[in-house]
Amino acid sequence: MELYEMTASELSRLMRDKACSAEEAAKSVLGQIARVEGKVGAYITVTEEGALQKAREIDGRRAKGEELSPLAGIPMAIKDNICTKGVLTTCGSKMLHNFVPPYNATVMERLTDAVVVGKANMDEFAMGSSCETSYFHKTANPHGLGYVPGGSSGGSAAAVAAGEAVLALGSDTGGSIRLPASYCGIVGLKPTYGAVSRYGLVAFASSLDQIGPFGRSVDDVAMLYSAICGGDPMDATSAKRDYPDRDAAPSGDVKGLRIGLPKEYFGAGVEEETRAAVMNAVSILEKKGAVIKEISLPSTGYALSAYYMISSAEASSNLARFDGVKYGYRAEGCEGLTELYEKTRSEGFGDEVKRRIMLGTFVLSSGFYDAYYKRAKQLQQQISAEFAAAFAGCDLILTPTSPSTAFRMGENLDDPLKMYAADICTVTVNIAGLPGLSVPCGRGANNMPLGMQLIGPKFAEKTLLDAAKAYENEAGSFRAIPEIQ
Amino acid sequence: MKIDIQHIAKLARLSIEEDKAAMFEKQMEDIVAMCENLPEITAGFDPVDPDHPMALRRDEITPSFPREDILKNAPHSQAGCVVVPRTVE
Amino acid sequence: MNNYEIVVGLEVHAELNTATKIYCGCKNSFGSAVNSNCCPICTGMPGTLPTLNEKVVEYAIKMGHALNCEIHPICKQDRKNYFYPDLPKAYQISQFDIPLCGKGYLDVILDDEGTTKRIGVTRIHIEEDAGKLIHDDSFEGSLVDFNRCGVPLIEIVSEPDMRSSAEAKAYLETIKSILQYIDISDCKMQEGSIRCDINVSVHKPGEPFGTRCEMKNVNSFSGAVRAIEYEAARQIEVLEAGGVIHQETRRWDDPAGKSVLLRSKEDAQDYRYFPEPDLLTIVVPEQKVKDLRDTLPELPNHKTLRFMKELELPRFDANLLVESMEKGAFFEACVEKGSCKPKNISNWLLGDVTRLCNEKNIALADTRLTPERLCEMIAMIEKGEISGNAGKTVIEEIMFTEKTVAQVVKEKGLAQISDTGALDGIVQAVLAANEKSVADYKNGKTNAIGFLVGQCMRQSKGQGNPALIKELLLRYLG
Ligand SMILES: [Mg+2]
Ligand SMILES: [Zn+2]
Repeated sequence: MELYEMTASELSRLMRDKACSAEEAAKSVLGQIARVEGKVGAYITVTEEGALQKAREIDGRRAKGEELSPLAGIPMAIKDNICTKGVLTTCGSKMLHNFVPPYNATVMERLTDAVVVGKANMDEFAMGSSCETSYFHKTANPHGLGYVPGGSSGGSAAAVAAGEAVLALGSDTGGSIRLPASYCGIVGLKPTYGAVSRYGLVAFASSLDQIGPFGRSVDDVAMLYSAICGGDPMDATSAKRDYPDRDAAPSGDVKGLRIGLPKEYFGAGVEEETRAAVMNAVSILEKKGAVIKEISLPSTGYALSAYYMISSAEASSNLARFDGVKYGYRAEGCEGLTELYEKTRSEGFGDEVKRRIMLGTFVLSSGFYDAYYKRAKQLQQQISAEFAAAFAGCDLILTPTSPSTAFRMGENLDDPLKMYAADICTVTVNIAGLPGLSVPCGRGANNMPLGMQLIGPKFAEKTLLDAAKAYENEAGSFRAIPEIQ
Repeated sequence: MKIDIQHIAKLARLSIEEDKAAMFEKQMEDIVAMCENLPEITAGFDPVDPDHPMALRRDEITPSFPREDILKNAPHSQAGCVVVPRTVE
Repeated sequence: MNNYEIVVGLEVHAELNTATKIYCGCKNSFGSAVNSNCCPICTGMPGTLPTLNEKVVEYAIKMGHALNCEIHPICKQDRKNYFYPDLPKAYQISQFDIPLCGKGYLDVILDDEGTTKRIGVTRIHIEEDAGKLIHDDSFEGSLVDFNRCGVPLIEIVSEPDMRSSAEAKAYLETIKSILQYIDISDCKMQEGSIRCDINVSVHKPGEPFGTRCEMKNVNSFSGAVRAIEYEAARQIEVLEAGGVIHQETRRWDDPAGKSVLLRSKEDAQDYRYFPEPDLLTIVVPEQKVKDLRDTLPELPNHKTLRFMKELELPRFDANLLVESMEKGAFFEACVEKGSCKPKNISNWLLGDVTRLCNEKNIALADTRLTPERLCEMIAMIEKGEISGNAGKTVIEEIMFTEKTVAQVVKEKGLAQISDTGALDGIVQAVLAANEKSVADYKNGKTNAIGFLVGQCMRQSKGQGNPALIKELLLRYLG
């Protein structure tokens, strides 16, 4: 087995035992990038030189007997909306095609021992479900190159699935980690809102955005999550509290765990093969001692609408700063200020971004605020209350991650509403600020991966990971890297 | 709901080309229509959440960034400042 | 023209004198080199987040207490969205529907008699300042300096309760003195640390308020007076000519002495306010709100009024004593002794004491003057034990040496002779030596008495009590 095929836990052990070096691991992953990146297109920037330099530094420190974190030397991909000091950070947009942040995101400060192999492709400003709206190029699904990897963190998911990274960070505003994890057959965690600092994550929708990990095993995701979580004085919305111990691997114990299946997530619109795969996973968990019960989350059907209004409203404000003055793209030959703004923004943003900025501007504009934005916020409170009530009777909620397997590239590009429907199972989790974990649970008729979503009460990441581990132990690992063809 | 796409675009400092205006208008109207099926919610919406108070920052100086770092991404800078087209004054 | 009533409401923006900016740890200071007090947060770089400075909340609550506002210890911040190059995030973090401080009022003194007027305060909220645009013909465009971005501001909004430019000026001056008194703003007008937007309308008494126009960009109190008078006159002229006032925003151009249209109501900005998602609810513990009120000093407007009404000081004196917290406190300590008249204390403090401090460039606290020493001296003057003139010598000694008042008086021989027996001989001798003056006096040239008093003073080497000498002279002259 090549080093790039290993999980982070395995690699970490090998490096600790000096059975391999960080440089060898980095070279193995960079070798895989050289082989398959032309087909997958997971990256916007590959940071080969920096990665090798960091790997050698780690090896040097290890040789000196320094105590290193478990993530030291692990090759990692970082979504290109997470600011990396001195390294191009584009958000997949022409608007930031040349932006080099002079600061690190807090998560990067917490991962100083990791070996960053590159900045992963994404839908422009994280707005999309297919990774097709990047200004730079589209990313293909490693399990079937004609399929989308899901979005918006499609590059991060594809990199991990294709062995072009061992771990990756993505961001999730309405499903942008869980959907690509599901489509690419890997594990992805959207942490509780506030569990991971957003400082340095280029904002899409501030009240919903959350950074989270991708990996090819539950342990790997747990390991990366424990490294990045925790309160941050730079992010007022981050929660100062106790977080899972970084050395405590998920237990795999689900005895007595009450798992709720909300009927609204298994009804019309969900493919039969998806339902069957998820129910099969449910029966495995039941066999291992979990208690399964049907529940109801009646407002689910309205969540997507509320999500689009809230996220677009915040986005319209967050993206107003891109005006050609301080950083990024600036239109040439403009006469006055207004022309500079309008030309820069019209040329620098893609259509999906413009659509959302305009939707957000509309719902906040004078005369429409109460009917749209305020109503969406009311609905948000109602959805949160329904989840809270549900969690009085169960420890976890289990749903499909998406109604179906990955769709073909180009299939939904001209129909925003159809594209948005891919997020129907995931947005509620962001709306309610809960943790959500997507775990592979089989394949569809097209041989593309399917995923199930575990949802917990706030800060119950450990419960999600424990349950996912139980399923992984029984159903086999998710780590196999497909033949890229 | 009819949406005045040009007014919204102006507010957002976007200029929408004529040939795309109709497409945007249609798509926006579809999205807004989807949002209009939201139920009337009787429960009040509380804009503050005293159960989750914000921790405040102490009034202690942290070093600023070197000016080069502040300006290095600016498309156009001069005399230590970012440059914009002349504003009326 | 004078059958119109002017209605004025003011929005005052004051920069707070915290050490750091409102949402980042950059230094809050004026006059630094361009773009040197900046970081990714205050220049709105992608991915950065605000963290609220606790002092800003405290200072705003202090001002709220000072203006008798109801405090909203549970409140939030909102985004005000608009595009301008001095606003790098393209939104200002401010407060919309729940300001930190709600309704309150302020009593301002209008005249020398101490007539006051109560001006309603609508709200006080916290927000961030914008940067500065530099226009210089040697550059092709405008330059942006982000140093001022994120400087903390409070915005104090008044009710439309003022009826003249003079009332507006009194209100502004009172606001300024309070800000300085509770030490939350430096109020340096030339540095723009307080600025105001002015709403003006006119109407005939008894009729409903007229349509108001807002004037922006007023950064001096005298400018505010000119702007109000100009705007009122403009509106009256329009009305008199049969026209109507349109609600609009105008920009006051002080050097030109006129306001120009900025935008009409039709193209009013749509700020699309919404709750700031990067910040959580502000929750100030009840005890803290109370503590902030309890630590507030007596406010300058109250103090001025008390000095005028209870201590019978003229407004001029009262203002000067209140303006300087140090002198005010010194003055009050002297008054408390009860040994001399407040007006005399005020005269000495504002006169010789201030002059000597200024000459030597020294603070009152750094001199040896204490309320006891000053009162002791003033009491001697009041009792005629030394002359006022002698006091000028004494004050310098007791301010800058350790000598007691008594020592100085003795050493310098300043004691006034108030003993009739001792002065009687001098008076008789002078009368004998100045027969011509005596004759003049008796012939009706009453001012000859001044000459005689002067002669006696000379004879007594300046130590005779002039009042007593005059009394004796008059007795002899019959
Ligand atoms: Mg304001
Ligand atoms: Zn700063």
